[in-house]
Amino acid sequence: MSKIGVFVCHCGENIGGTVDCEKVAQEAAKIPGVEVSTDYKYMCSDPGQTIIKNAIKEKGLDGVVVAACSPRMHESTFRAACAEACLNPYMCEIANIREHCSWVHEKGEATTQKALDLVRMQVEKVKKDLPLSTIKVPVTKKALVIGGGIAGIQAALDIANAGHKVILVEKEPSIGGHMAQLSETFPTLDCSQCILTPRMVEVAQHPNITLYTYAEVEGLEGFIGNFTARIRLKARSVDLEKCTGCGMCTTKCPTKKVPSEFNALMGLRTAIYVPSPQSVPNKPTIDKEHCVYYKTGKCKLCEKVCPTGAITFDAPDEIITEEVGAVVVCTGFDVAPTSEFSEYGYGRYKDVITGLQFERLASASGPTMGEIRRPSDGTVPKKIVFIACAGSRDAAKGRPYCSKICCMYTAKHAMLYQHKVHDGESYVFYMDIRAGGKNYDEFVRRAIEEDGVNYIRGRVARVYERDGKLIVKGVDTLLGGEQVEIEADMVVLATAGVANKGAEDLAQKLHISYDKYNFFAEAHPKLKPVETNTAGIFLAGACQSPKDIPDTVAAASGAAVKVAALFSKDQLLREPVVAVVNRMPPPVFSTCVGCSLCVDICPYSAITMENIKDRAGNVIKTVASINPGLCQGCGTCVAFCRSKSIDLQGFSNEEMYSSVMAALHE
Amino acid sequence: MDKLKAKLIELFQSGEITLAIGYKQGTRGPRPFFCRSASDVEQMIFSNDYQPNLAVYLTKKEVVKDEKVAIVCTISALRSIAYLARENQIGQSQYKIIHLSPNDELMIFRSPWDIDPYIEEIPSTPSEDDRRVIEMLDAMTSEERWAWWAAQFSKCIKCYACRAACPMCYCTRCIVDNNRPQWIDPWASPLSNMEWQINRVMHLAGRCVGCGACGAACPEGIPVHLLNRKILDNIEENFGITAGLAPREGAVLNTFKPDDKENFIK
Repeated sequence: MSKIGVFVCHCGENIGGTVDCEKVAQEAAKIPGVEVSTDYKYMCSDPGQTIIKNAIKEKGLDGVVVAACSPRMHESTFRAACAEACLNPYMCEIANIREHCSWVHEKGEATTQKALDLVRMQVEKVKKDLPLSTIKVPVTKKALVIGGGIAGIQAALDIANAGHKVILVEKEPSIGGHMAQLSETFPTLDCSQCILTPRMVEVAQHPNITLYTYAEVEGLEGFIGNFTARIRLKARSVDLEKCTGCGMCTTKCPTKKVPSEFNALMGLRTAIYVPSPQSVPNKPTIDKEHCVYYKTGKCKLCEKVCPTGAITFDAPDEIITEEVGAVVVCTGFDVAPTSEFSEYGYGRYKDVITGLQFERLASASGPTMGEIRRPSDGTVPKKIVFIACAGSRDAAKGRPYCSKICCMYTAKHAMLYQHKVHDGESYVFYMDIRAGGKNYDEFVRRAIEEDGVNYIRGRVARVYERDGKLIVKGVDTLLGGEQVEIEADMVVLATAGVANKGAEDLAQKLHISYDKYNFFAEAHPKLKPVETNTAGIFLAGACQSPKDIPDTVAAASGAAVKVAALFSKDQLLREPVVAVVNRMPPPVFSTCVGCSLCVDICPYSAITMENIKDRAGNVIKTVASINPGLCQGCGTCVAFCRSKSIDLQGFSNEEMYSSVMAALHE
Repeated sequence: MDKLKAKLIELFQSGEITLAIGYKQGTRGPRPFFCRSASDVEQMIFSNDYQPNLAVYLTKKEVVKDEKVAIVCTISALRSIAYLARENQIGQSQYKIIHLSPNDELMIFRSPWDIDPYIEEIPSTPSEDDRRVIEMLDAMTSEERWAWWAAQFSKCIKCYACRAACPMCYCTRCIVDNNRPQWIDPWASPLSNMEWQINRVMHLAGRCVGCGACGAACPEGIPVHLLNRKILDNIEENFGITAGLAPREGAVLNTFKPDDKENFIK
């Protein structure tokens, strides 16, 4: 006969306010096999845990049910308490009477009854529970960082400085990401390249970091501590070992009019190119789409002028595999497709540009050497309008979220403009100014008060051209909804930050979840902001949601600490919630008939077929076998196995059946 | 037919086989025939319409152990053998697979994998009578259909003849024999009869070849095979898998392709 203890938690008013906990405890005491049943205000508190521990020791309990909050919150707390009292921790079950009961129902008899039913289900389950022990798996102490923007750079450096090997994969020819494109940064107005490029160089020189630029992650298999990544090294047609970065090829390349991605399509580059003077590695790549040789089969001018013979035409992409223990995803963001802003004339009028394009105009390394000039005729705009929230906070455009960085960079843009064009006039149309952050609001006030930027609260209805001027028609809601019309020389849209192209694809390859805007999802919005729901895969930066540089760097360091913590042990302890194929004495050996359909169905490739042999080595039977290191306990094979030869430890058929029957029969 | 018999006699005489599984005339029609000598081959009869599906014996150790077996297959039995090979239940060249095509051509398949090109050309279709019943059931409301099946299953005596007749029901321990926990009550009752049939049909989804042996075997005349047939139709509609053809890239319900429609998840 079982000796089970039931411990009902009030969780202050959280449960106690809705459920009659005392009654639940009294009724639970009547369930056959329940030795002791009691309630307490906070079971997770030290005295609460002591009640459980004492009961286990004094009454000799062989199973514990804690009726409290979700097992996600305190299952580990109570299991540890049981272990301290020498009860196998997996003989402790949680009846979730908070999230599943008190929080979702009104106070009343029925709610108390449901709480009791939940307790009853777990009591029946714990009767069938078997003691389990944790699984130990080795850890590969090498991290994969995907994306070489500031998030990836920071994460890679932090992990590398903690003494672990890092593989940094960047899909573009250079690391640096969007931050390398920025002119100055808020709220200090220090030059973006000046603070970023030392970090980029540090990455390239760090003995613990292996850098793969112009490479993409093709697939990721395995599990925490033991991933295998397949990485495609795209053929850049230049041998990085031989290339000295002299730049002869880029000067001689006949294709000179390719819009430069680094300059946000504002400047031009050659077909063999280095994205920017400060690229890391500062060695060229051939853009096969525009290269004359790749298009027509003739040219090879770069090959002729290269003094070291580093040009390698027609080299295939290379696929390499790397064993890693953890992954940090830092794939960043993109700006919203500008085709969405037909009312603002983007694409129709050359002088309507995005915030990112303005960054390039204002940057010393940009197409105008840092002078603010109109893309159409190269004149200095005397009147400029900034439109905040272009695409953000706009449910009609399917993006109700705030892009977070636009208020600040728009203030910065207006400020930079005023600093560079002393007689210029600048206007900012805004919905709200969101300047939360250290020295942020002061920065915006400085733009308004010291630099004389005109802030107009209201939205812009449309932008159209008249006599070479851009007419911006909007409304000033602070002046009682008065219509405003500004004859501007240039308009800058603070376009929304969106998930990077291919984010959904990558999420599926990595088996991590993502939200409806294709931003990657964190495991918990508050308490697990850099973890994903897939153990061993972490997030940092704007691939999760639009973030500014300080937040991105903080998140990257946070993710790096998580990785370092994971690598601090040689072995990883895993929950024993894994599937097992039954084994029994001869002549049956196992009820598995070896149909092998579970091999195909397992999403983690954890199942293989195993031969059961006699002593002479003859195969008696071929049955499925599950690798406990690879199994994630999803239970798909359990549901699929027709003969019920597979069971999930901790959630076995018998346990679940008893639990369901307890719910149905009472 | 004569070619078939001649071939079997030759195989027996050369010692290549010790057992030929085929059909002979029984009291109420064709019945399985376990022929063990050249002199008995004379009794063998064959037509592609015959039931039961003889492939069911190939996974029964008590029948085939220590024997050199030739099996005379209907088209349905060929389909079953192709599936059994995919599920690792029969070996590469374990059995002599003999077939007489509808235009009386004698075919011997050296391996179950050679069957596909032949059966690919022949669709698995229900009989006219079955099609009529399916259409009648399709026209019903779901309540009417439930009532119709409930009435049918009220006759079930849980003899498991449907299971015994099915080549794909080869588990050594069926879910109904599992008593820890006892998912399905062992006795015949409206609930447990329904549970058994739903389980049987779902366990065959994507594996059933539509031979109809289960329905033919039912002593109570319950057309249980129509449930399987309906699922074959659904699979063809939703996944484009031709009924009765063992899919090369894994079965329908246990594989996933990145371009599978996921409109039900988001």
